[in-house]
Amino acid sequence: MIISWGPQHPISGQFRIILETDGENVLKLTPDIGFTHRGIEKILENRTFLQGIVPVERLSMLDTANFLLAYVRAVEEIAEVDVPPRAKYIRTILCEISRINSHLYALGLIAEACGGYPAIFLWTVADRELFLDVAEMLTGTRWSYSFFIPGGVRRDIPSGFKEKVLEVLDYFEGRLETYRDSWLENELFKRRARGVGELPLDKAVTLGAAGPTLRGSGFRFDTRKDEPYEAYEDLDFKLVSMEEGDSYARTMVRYLEMVESVKIIREAIENIPEGRFRVRVPMRVPEGEAYVRVETARGEVGLHMITDGSIKPYRVKINSPSLRNLYVLSRMPEFSRLLVADVPVVLWSFDPWFLDADR
Amino acid sequence: MSNPVMDDLRRILSESILDLRELGKRKISITVKADNLLEAARILKEKMGFDVLTSAGAIDYIAKKIFQIVYYLWSSKRRTVLILRVNIPRENPTIQSLHRIWESADYHEREMWEMFGIDVQGHPNLTRILLPEDWSGGFPLRKDFDWRGGDAAFQH
Repeated sequence: MIISWGPQHPISGQFRIILETDGENVLKLTPDIGFTHRGIEKILENRTFLQGIVPVERLSMLDTANFLLAYVRAVEEIAEVDVPPRAKYIRTILCEISRINSHLYALGLIAEACGGYPAIFLWTVADRELFLDVAEMLTGTRWSYSFFIPGGVRRDIPSGFKEKVLEVLDYFEGRLETYRDSWLENELFKRRARGVGELPLDKAVTLGAAGPTLRGSGFRFDTRKDEPYEAYEDLDFKLVSMEEGDSYARTMVRYLEMVESVKIIREAIENIPEGRFRVRVPMRVPEGEAYVRVETARGEVGLHMITDGSIKPYRVKINSPSLRNLYVLSRMPEFSRLLVADVPVVLWSFDPWFLDADR
Repeated sequence: MSNPVMDDLRRILSESILDLRELGKRKISITVKADNLLEAARILKEKMGFDVLTSAGAIDYIAKKIFQIVYYLWSSKRRTVLILRVNIPRENPTIQSLHRIWESADYHEREMWEMFGIDVQGHPNLTRILLPEDWSGGFPLRKDFDWRGGDAAFQH
C-alpha cells in the first residue's frame, strides 16, 4: 500500500513522505520536499551584502543565528575583516542560545511523535520562552535576530544581561535534570526509541549524514571542534557522540549538547573581552570566494560565496544539513527495519528542518 | 608550509588538473578537465579517501558562456574539504552523473538539473525535487532568468 503522509504542519512539517508499505513494514520511504522553496540562493544574488541578512535567516527560523553566522563570516573572509574579540564572544553566546532553542524544540517534537505531547512538548516550549526573552534583551527580537553583521554585531551587551542569562541558566540546569528523569529515562520513551531506526556508522558517513545524526552513529565530528570559529577555540566543551545509532542515541546527543551549550554560555559570558563590538566593512566587497562551515543545530552548513567586486554576491550556494539528513532518511528502509508507527519517531530523531532543505 | 593533501592531489591527478589552490585551512579547490571528471572522481574517492559528497551545485558564468559545476567533497579520514570543479559550455550543458561513485549526489544532481537545466547523464531518477511539478518558468538559478516575472502560471 502507498501512504501519503503529510503535508500538514503539525508533526509532518511542511513536507510529505510517500511510504510504500507491506502490512506494517515500510518498504520504501520517499521524502517529498520543496513546499517551502523560496529561492533564497537566487534572492541573495539580488540583495546587497547587508540586505542579504534577512533572507538568510529564513533558512531556519528555529536556528537563525547559526545560519546567519555562516553568511556573515563568508563576507568577512572575502573582505579580509578582522572581527573584534568582543563581537566573537557575543556571537558565540547567541549561537548557543539559538542551538538550545532548536534542540529544545526537537526534544518536544520527538516527545510529541511518541505521544508525550502535553507533558514534554509544552514544557520544552515554555522553557524555550526564557531563552527567547534573553535573546530579545540582547537583540530586540525573539526569533529572527538579524544581529550579526559583517564586521561584528549590531549592538553591545545591555546592562543586566549577564545577570539575566545566569538566572535563566541556573533554572534551566534544573529543568535539564527533569527532562532526563521524566522523559529520557522514561521506559515509555526507551521502548519507542531504542533500537528503532538504526543507522550504522559506515552508512551515516558515506551517505552524508550531518550533525547529531552523524554523531548519534558514533562518528566524532563537530565543526566547532574540527575548524573552530568565533570564540570556540578558547572555550572548554565536550564533543558529544553516542555509539548506538538509533533514535534514542540521536535524541540523547541533542540533550547532551544542550548541557554543553549551557557550559559554553557560562564560560563565554564570564570572559567577554573588552573592546569594540564591530568594525566597519565597506559596502563593496572585492572579487573572491569563500567556503565557510558552521555547526548549526542540525549539523554542518557549508556556505559558498562567490563575489565579483560589486555590492551584491555573484552566487551563494548553501549546503544544507537537513537535505543531507533527508537523503539518509530516504535510504533507511534498506538497512533498518522500519514500521509505519516508527516513522514519526525516526523522522524527528533526525530532526530535519524543511525550510533549510528547501532554501 | 606544504599541505600533504595538496601534494598528493598534484601527484595523482597531475594531467587532469587545470587549477589547484588552497581556500583556507583544510579547504582545497581543484578544477579538472571536463573529459576527465569521472576518472578523477573515482581516483578522489578510491585513492585519496574523499568518501563523502556533501553537496553539488553550479555557477552560471554567463559572460564567459560557461557553467561551472561544483562538487563539495569531504574526507572523513583526512578531515579535509575538497571543492571539485569542472567547466562545461553553457550551450546544451551536459555532465556525467557521479551517482555511481557517491550515492548522495542523487538530490544535488536533480537540483542542478531543474535549477540550471543541466542534463545529468546516467542519473537513475532525474525528476523535480524543489520546484512544483507543473513549473514551466525556465531555470531559476541561471543568470538570464527573469526573477521579476517568474512562471506565468503563478501570476494572478
